[in-house]
Amino acid sequence: MADRSDPLRVRDVQFTYPAAARPALAGVDLDVRPGECLALLGPNGAGKTTLIRTITGLRSPDAGIVRVAGGDPRQASTRSHIGVMLQSTAFPSHLTVRELVDGAAARAGRTTGDVDDVLDEVGLVDLAGRRSQALSGGQRRRLQLARALVVDPVLLVLDEPTEGLDAESRRATWDNLAARRDAGMAILLTTHLVTEAGEAADRVAVIADGRIVADASPDVLVHGLPDRTIHLNTTVSLATVRALPAVDHVTVTSTGDAVRSTLAITTRRPEGILRSLLVADPGARDLRVVGASLEDAVLAITADRDRLARRPPDDVPGPSRRSPADPSSAPTASVPAAAAPARRLTERTTA
Amino acid sequence: MSTSTTPVATTSTTGRARTTGPGPAAMLALEVRDEMRMIRREPAALFFSVLMPVMFYTLFVSLFGNQFPSGGSRPVGTLMLATFGTYGAIVATMMNPGISLATARENGWFEAIRVSPVPVGVHLAAKVLATVPFVAGILVAMTTASAALGVLEVSVGEWFALVAALVVGSQSFALVGLVVGALASPNAATAILNAIIMPAAVASGLWFPLESMPDWVSTVARVLPTYHLAELAATPLGGGPWMTHLVVLVAFTGLAGLAAAAAWRRADA
Repeated sequence: MADRSDPLRVRDVQFTYPAAARPALAGVDLDVRPGECLALLGPNGAGKTTLIRTITGLRSPDAGIVRVAGGDPRQASTRSHIGVMLQSTAFPSHLTVRELVDGAAARAGRTTGDVDDVLDEVGLVDLAGRRSQALSGGQRRRLQLARALVVDPVLLVLDEPTEGLDAESRRATWDNLAARRDAGMAILLTTHLVTEAGEAADRVAVIADGRIVADASPDVLVHGLPDRTIHLNTTVSLATVRALPAVDHVTVTSTGDAVRSTLAITTRRPEGILRSLLVADPGARDLRVVGASLEDAVLAITADRDRLARRPPDDVPGPSRRSPADPSSAPTASVPAAAAPARRLTERTTA
Repeated sequence: MSTSTTPVATTSTTGRARTTGPGPAAMLALEVRDEMRMIRREPAALFFSVLMPVMFYTLFVSLFGNQFPSGGSRPVGTLMLATFGTYGAIVATMMNPGISLATARENGWFEAIRVSPVPVGVHLAAKVLATVPFVAGILVAMTTASAALGVLEVSVGEWFALVAALVVGSQSFALVGLVVGALASPNAATAILNAIIMPAAVASGLWFPLESMPDWVSTVARVLPTYHLAELAATPLGGGPWMTHLVVLVAFTGLAGLAAAAAWRRADA
């Protein structure tokens, strides 16, 4: 019987591809609770896909435990409690939308009476009799979601769920998923649309080099990052801005004419820079100061990790300037550099 | 093997009661149903795996079907039910599962199956079993053609024995199709399977009698499972002893099963 109170439990999962120099998964721990949406983010090659394949039963770990609804996802009976939306949108071309959704329901032991509700939920009810080969890319994506939802899964695994959808369909998809989550469904998603992930997810887990290096709410990750970005259109030269104290990074986002340009200045202390800029150019316009985004936070976490990994073992790193973490708990030489950021950034609430 | 499961109610997020999934037999039935839908709705598959063998048979029976073999009492057209029936059966059982597996692997549908509650073995078995009605259909169409051309001399019992031999015996050839489908792209699978079937058909005497070909072809035929399937199918029509052919086919099934397992391990690595 499915344990709906324990949708996903991953413990110390390790996996190395044959002939690979480094493990794809180097001891991953992860949980998703009922009624929770967890976004798994990270750069290409970080281990996201391998972890998703392990959780969905496509791959057996070399070591560690994966349990979905209390069962082993390599067992077919456990997989009847997982709804999966893979990146590939292939279907047998000659089967209709209804046959494909009805088939998914029947194979998971669901009644076919739910099919109409789900087709209505994803906006495919008018296309129920259409063969999959005649669907557009966005419609195929929604068909995938319908097949994943119709099994009423304990754990819903979504790999790039809004890929190929227009803005309206994307909004509707996130609304549907939020409703399912509010009803108690556990959701694990990966997406390259980090902003959307931040809006949809209750928690974000960042994976890098096969390890979870951050696990916290989007707010905690973003607020931990001290960076602010000043956007303005000014006559002050790029060289002058670069010379100001506390400027971390400057990019020219557009050049209007020979005199003015629009700049994006990243800094931890915007007040002093603003004063200096307004003194130098009282006519500066389009001035905005924005906080860090979740994407900034994810980039900072993974960049921080790369930087630490490149240090020699006896080089004691100080607090990372771009780290969203509390500098007081910076890693020391006695802490393996690869593991330290994860400890600083983890905000686990599970036992 | 259980055909049903005891319903176990669990709480669902939609508030509806749900039960555990269907048993293996019910799951297999669902898979076979969909596989048959797919074959039936694919005109190209129907043409190459059903119509073409029947058209070949009709053509050859029109040319030679009313002749009698030396010392034989049945028209050649009736005996051709065993040889051309073997050809039709192996085309259907090798091509359809093999190409559909290669296609599903390439386009990603096979991954969707693997993350579903359907055991992979059940899915692959369904691909094979779904060919049975088509093999039977080919044999019925060939029989109808031979009757229409006036060369059918077979009792109902003999006919059912021939059909049973071909339907059951051809299933092991599906393993070869699955081996190719597990390793090759769809285009390559089509080419490879044709490269296997066509020479095997000629060398096994499925299109032309072995007596009309060089002696070395007869020697080669003795080691081909297609030859032994045709000989087994011909037994009810007055062929020789069948035990040797059955043993060869059982051994072939074992080897093909080992090859399929190895191919699967490689594809899954």
